[in-house]
Amino acid sequence: MGSVKNMVRGSIFTAIYVVTTIVIPLATFTLLFDLVVQGLPLDFEQQDYNNIVFWIVAFGLLISGNAFITFSSPKQSIRRAIFALIQVFVNCLYLWSYKFSGAAVLSFIIVDFGVMTLNVQQMILMYMGLYFLTIILKVYDIFDFTINRKKIRENRMKE
Amino acid sequence: MRISRVFRIIFRIFILLLTLSITVVAFLGGLSAVMILQETDNIGIDTDDAEFNLDYDLLTGFHGGNFTLPFNITNAGYFDLENLEFSLSISLNYSHIDYPVPGSNETRNVIVFDKSENFGNIPKGQTGFFIFTAVSSDFIAVNFPNPLDVNYLRGPPIFEFYANITLSLDYSLGMHQLALSIINLLIGELP
Repeated sequence: MGSVKNMVRGSIFTAIYVVTTIVIPLATFTLLFDLVVQGLPLDFEQQDYNNIVFWIVAFGLLISGNAFITFSSPKQSIRRAIFALIQVFVNCLYLWSYKFSGAAVLSFIIVDFGVMTLNVQQMILMYMGLYFLTIILKVYDIFDFTINRKKIRENRMKE
Repeated sequence: MRISRVFRIIFRIFILLLTLSITVVAFLGGLSAVMILQETDNIGIDTDDAEFNLDYDLLTGFHGGNFTLPFNITNAGYFDLENLEFSLSISLNYSHIDYPVPGSNETRNVIVFDKSENFGNIPKGQTGFFIFTAVSSDFIAVNFPNPLDVNYLRGPPIFEFYANITLSLDYSLGMHQLALSIINLLIGELP
């Protein structure tokens, strides 16, 4: 029964990560590209858009797949702690992909007016800082689960 | 509950609160940027009241110049708008006579003015009215062409002045940096 519960939890978290790392960013970019500035429509390079979409989907799928393994693992298990740490590293790569795919500095052509540039590099660095704190937490988990393995197993048996 | 788990939960709650607050600020900042940009009255460059005086003699060259350009921005967003910067670069197009090789005249583009001015912050919900000013010393006098090197048969106009205007600002603790640029705007011709 426990394994079924773990699978369901894994699937739920996979769905959550698909929404937060693929659906919401793509919807945001689509809305951004449809923006009207000073009453004038925006234009952009199709190649830029394709590049951003490719990296968001690629890393989003990687994160979602990893989330399934992490969250379907038993609570307080070493496996879960290791995959949770990998998950944070993949999340960092995902954020970094915003930088090299061109999504961190977006340039739009405002038809008959000029150019608009939106730079969100500072925001990405802020999130990177948060992920650094999360890495500390996950490393702590690995040590904690390894040192207290016997106690965790005893508690699991009682349940 | 093990003591190590209590410590973990406290640390976890701290990270969660930090993540939530950054996400809310980032979301509202993005929304604010959209609100400022979408309304046409929020950013106004008053070209009717702008003054552009250039003292350039076709025989003796550049002597001086000055100009004023009023503009206004309404901060329609949720946070204060920071680090508002107005940059203006003016380039001059003319036909250059290349004396050592007669007949190989070429159109040259030289930057005769390049200045940035920081106008500080605009609190949320307020409109900032500013005037961008330039005096003779702001012009790059050495870049003006020697009148003897100018091909006067090209014109009229002999000289064309193009402006590149950039308005940049920071929003939501600098997490969003926005820049609006008008490129190659024809602002004047001589004669």
